[in-house]
Amino acid sequence: MTEQYPLNALSEAMVAAVEAAGAATMMVNARRRLPASGIAYTADLILTADHVIEREEDIKVMLPDGSEKAANVAGRDPGNDLALLRLDSLVASVAVPAAQDARVGQLVLALGRPNSEGIQASLGVISASGGPVRTGRGGLLERYLRTDAIPYPGFSGGPLIDTAGQIVGINTSGLARGASLAIPVSLAWQVAEALRTHGHIRRGFLGVRSQPVPIPIAQQSALGRKQASGLLLVGVENDSPAERGGLMIGDIIVAIAGQPVTDPDELLSTLTGEVVGKVTPIEILRGGSPTTIAVTIGARN
Amino acid sequence: MGMNAYDLTNWIAQSQAEVIQRIQRSLVMVHNGRRGVGSGVAWRQGGYLVTNYHVVAHGRNQYATLPNGQDLPVRVVAREPDIDLALLQADAFYLPPALVADSRGLQVGQIVMAVGHPWGQRGVVTSGIISGLGTVQTRGVRGAVPVIRSDVVLAPGNSGGPLVNAIGAVIGINTMIIGGDLGVAIPTHLVDLFVSEALGERAEVSG
Repeated sequence: MTEQYPLNALSEAMVAAVEAAGAATMMVNARRRLPASGIAYTADLILTADHVIEREEDIKVMLPDGSEKAANVAGRDPGNDLALLRLDSLVASVAVPAAQDARVGQLVLALGRPNSEGIQASLGVISASGGPVRTGRGGLLERYLRTDAIPYPGFSGGPLIDTAGQIVGINTSGLARGASLAIPVSLAWQVAEALRTHGHIRRGFLGVRSQPVPIPIAQQSALGRKQASGLLLVGVENDSPAERGGLMIGDIIVAIAGQPVTDPDELLSTLTGEVVGKVTPIEILRGGSPTTIAVTIGARN
Repeated sequence: MGMNAYDLTNWIAQSQAEVIQRIQRSLVMVHNGRRGVGSGVAWRQGGYLVTNYHVVAHGRNQYATLPNGQDLPVRVVAREPDIDLALLQADAFYLPPALVADSRGLQVGQIVMAVGHPWGQRGVVTSGIISGLGTVQTRGVRGAVPVIRSDVVLAPGNSGGPLVNAIGAVIGINTMIIGGDLGVAIPTHLVDLFVSEALGERAEVSG
């Protein structure tokens, strides 16, 4: 039959993929509205979307066999919209990450288990991959996947899989309004590992408000940089790393640790976990003159 | 096996076209006076057609357009409003009944295609997968009935038309009025039971 009907062979492959990944897809009940989904990162850790965790107590995870288990929060990363839950029991099937990054045009299935009726799925392709993108949750998602697979209610935290049943991303509707995005599996696994170890993602913190401004040609040559814009500081928080380091309103940040900074997104992406606690050179224009200030970067809560 | 990606996609596309041809031989358009159109599918020899109850619930001058373009009057043989099904008969004795699959072994992820006449446009195919298998509460004595959910795009005019699997066999009848959401189909084992009872056949499925 499958020999005669290649379409049927593809159909059977997708059924098998849904079955395999569905066995590692759980219902996560931690909000008042419709429950969401999550996947088994390890036998006792469930990876889900952070925005579906509205309470940290009385979290229930329903396994594919229908049994309900209690879970605690093991770690949260609102910036990337990921959270890790710890079960006090073990699940039978663990999610398998795809070895390769997803490519535009690739067939994918979005999975979710928002109720006890069984696994749900929708079919589509990877429409785009990109990043960084501002999440509207005070964070910056380094990379994202966009898909045209329908994100049914409760699919957030569920997997986006390939036709072999391997995970290529984690579905989330909580990042960009309305758009069906997924966090690429390599980033999700990196975050999950950090959450498992530290319970949170470390991010650098300066304590400034800023806006991009053009840098005149004369000042570009004074800086020795061909850089058309920098970040004008319009606010410096009291007792912040920026204030302690001597940054002032009116300064224009040009580069941090040698990395050019031309807009607020670039500022966020330079303030990674690695720079926390480190004395970091910040190149600025003050009164039109280039100068470098050493600031000890703080940690964002 | 030395098959390149171009051959594979071509092969799949060709297979899909054959599957569609198979079901279109049994597909009719149901007209209901000025109330618009729905879809229907030949279910038994003798011109017996299945469609949605709501397509033929009201109105007069009901007729069906056959795949060859011929218009024939239809009469309503049986109706089951709770699951939105109606059995019609037209003098179309040569119309081949559709290949019908048993819907009790369906699985999420299966490729499905809806064939019908959305917005009155004839023989339109939309495709997707079975997105969920669940139940919907009906108002009548039936209580909760099983339904097939899919991510296939449906529009008015798809109502009463077939949802087919990857070999072109019918697995459900599309309906847009039960369950209150898009993309619900009544599984064929329920349809077949309704047709058997209506025709006084001995039911294969015990209800």
